[in-house]
Amino acid sequence: MLVKKRMTHDPVVVSPRHSLADALRLTRERRIRHLPVVDDGVLVGIVSDRDVRTAMPSTLTEPDAERVAFLDRTPISAVMRTDVDSIGPLDTVEDAAKLMRRRRIGALPVVDAHGAVLGILSESDVLDAFVEILGPANASSRLEIGMADRAGELARAMRVIGEELHVNVCSLMVPPGKPDERRVAIVHVNTIDPRETIAALEAAGFEVGWPSLESDLRQGGFA
Amino acid sequence: MSRVPCALVWDPAVTGYKFRPDHPFNPRRLELAVSLIEALGLVDGGLAKTVAPRTATEAELLAVHSREYLDAVRRFSGGADKAGAGRWGLGTDDTPIFSGMHDITALVSGATIRAAELVMRGEVTRAFSICGGLHHAHRDRASGFCVYSDLAAAIAWIRREHGGKVMYIDYDAHHGDGVQGIFYDDPDVLTLSLHESGRYLFPGTGFVDELGDGDGYGYSLNVPLEPFTEDDSWLDIHRKLIPEVMEAYRPDVVILQSGCDGHALDPLTHLRASTKLYEETTRIVCEAADRVCGGRVIATGGGGYAVWKVVPRAWTLVWGVLSGQEVPNRIPHEWLNRWQGEAPEMLPPHVRDAEEDHRPVPRRQEIEATNRRTLESLRRQALPLIRGWGLGF
Repeated sequence: MLVKKRMTHDPVVVSPRHSLADALRLTRERRIRHLPVVDDGVLVGIVSDRDVRTAMPSTLTEPDAERVAFLDRTPISAVMRTDVDSIGPLDTVEDAAKLMRRRRIGALPVVDAHGAVLGILSESDVLDAFVEILGPANASSRLEIGMADRAGELARAMRVIGEELHVNVCSLMVPPGKPDERRVAIVHVNTIDPRETIAALEAAGFEVGWPSLESDLRQGGFA
Repeated sequence: MSRVPCALVWDPAVTGYKFRPDHPFNPRRLELAVSLIEALGLVDGGLAKTVAPRTATEAELLAVHSREYLDAVRRFSGGADKAGAGRWGLGTDDTPIFSGMHDITALVSGATIRAAELVMRGEVTRAFSICGGLHHAHRDRASGFCVYSDLAAAIAWIRREHGGKVMYIDYDAHHGDGVQGIFYDDPDVLTLSLHESGRYLFPGTGFVDELGDGDGYGYSLNVPLEPFTEDDSWLDIHRKLIPEVMEAYRPDVVILQSGCDGHALDPLTHLRASTKLYEETTRIVCEAADRVCGGRVIATGGGGYAVWKVVPRAWTLVWGVLSGQEVPNRIPHEWLNRWQGEAPEMLPPHVRDAEEDHRPVPRRQEIEATNRRTLESLRRQALPLIRGWGLGF
């Protein structure tokens, strides 16, 4: 899955000469937390609402008027992060997610070869992508199919569903496992009544869980 | 319990809504249910009477379905080549094409519209369109055994003829995605669906965050229940949520989809209700409707695939509560004699399940805790929207 498919295009950006008051207003109005800072068409930094708040004089010691004046007169360049991580539009969301975890950051500007900002990828965009992958694509029932980690097993299961029963598989996920360990394919099938599909898979030697193979979810806990 | 004027909309012709002899959506269940209601003396031609359905008009169907879809169903009903049927959700194992499909589905839709007419014109306070409840039908697509949406057609009829607000309650074990989708941006129709979580069960939707769109934001409510949820946890949610939402929304009439496939014996779901759920929930809905909207409730059938052992009993209990009649617990011999020969399994002797029939679910505590969290999450998100921001919350 490519970053360009999941990023927010043409995000709100600021220049280093904008004031902190501008930055704060934009994050509030647009309900965003991160603003890429662009100078001369090139990414030069990033500022978050938290960076601005951290830079602000304390509410305990300073009168409000002084705080307002501080926000108005301080340029974004004074608080922005300049060692900014960015990513390209053709990188994968998986890589972006890893980078965000490693650097503990909430958003990555997406830049082209010249450093121009094309988009921004936030934590929420990454989560949305994973929710979509894990969820059903169409009206469907979810089955878990346990199978040996051997060439041809997955194909055999799919043939039972598709060729024997003519039921459409609308999504399929097989999380990686250790070698030789049983693998569990999570399959969404396009039917309200998966009983025949389950019976045929079981007859072909597969273990099938509906709702799940997890013993905690089988029969409400009968292992 | 006092008697309430109530109509059972029924004619044996509606059993023509039948896909294949071995299809799980088996109309035999309707004959079983109606004959049990009759055998128990719960229709008398007076306050509790049977009324024949009528056919929905084309305009009534077009209020909730696209012209292209209606034309496609007509074409395939008449035997047109099946190529391209998949685009409309037809010709699948779930919803195969059968001859006369358009006419019979228009009759099923008309049955629920007839129920709405009787209630909205004040001829009865409540009505039961037992063949209705096709909650998976979308504006331009059939799905999950449902061709046209009788429910949406009846709601649209009420909105057009009488105005006012409609509250749709759906406790079929599957999410009422079709009705929700058709009224997703409409604040005058509030949909509330309680069902086994779409995480596991068809159609895979109906999560708490599906709250509606545009002007209708806050008027689509969903409670996804854990698989293996039992009566107590499920009823606890109905008792807390249904009156609360009804009193906040103040509808003019309630539509109740009473699919009974959440019963422990149902082969298509993992919920673990007993017959008590159906009797109690109908009571909760009717009592709230008595306080809020003159008692007006239009109930329909819906899912229910334990055709012999569950559906007749569950829907007899629904009818009993709707019409304000105590349902005797013993099933008459004449009814058992009439059907046992054909039944593939032993028919139960009582209308209500006995406590000892129920095998407790080992993981009950965690299931109940998860359901409570789901309910609280929905209340936090939806009730302020229904009541207006910040009012009384």
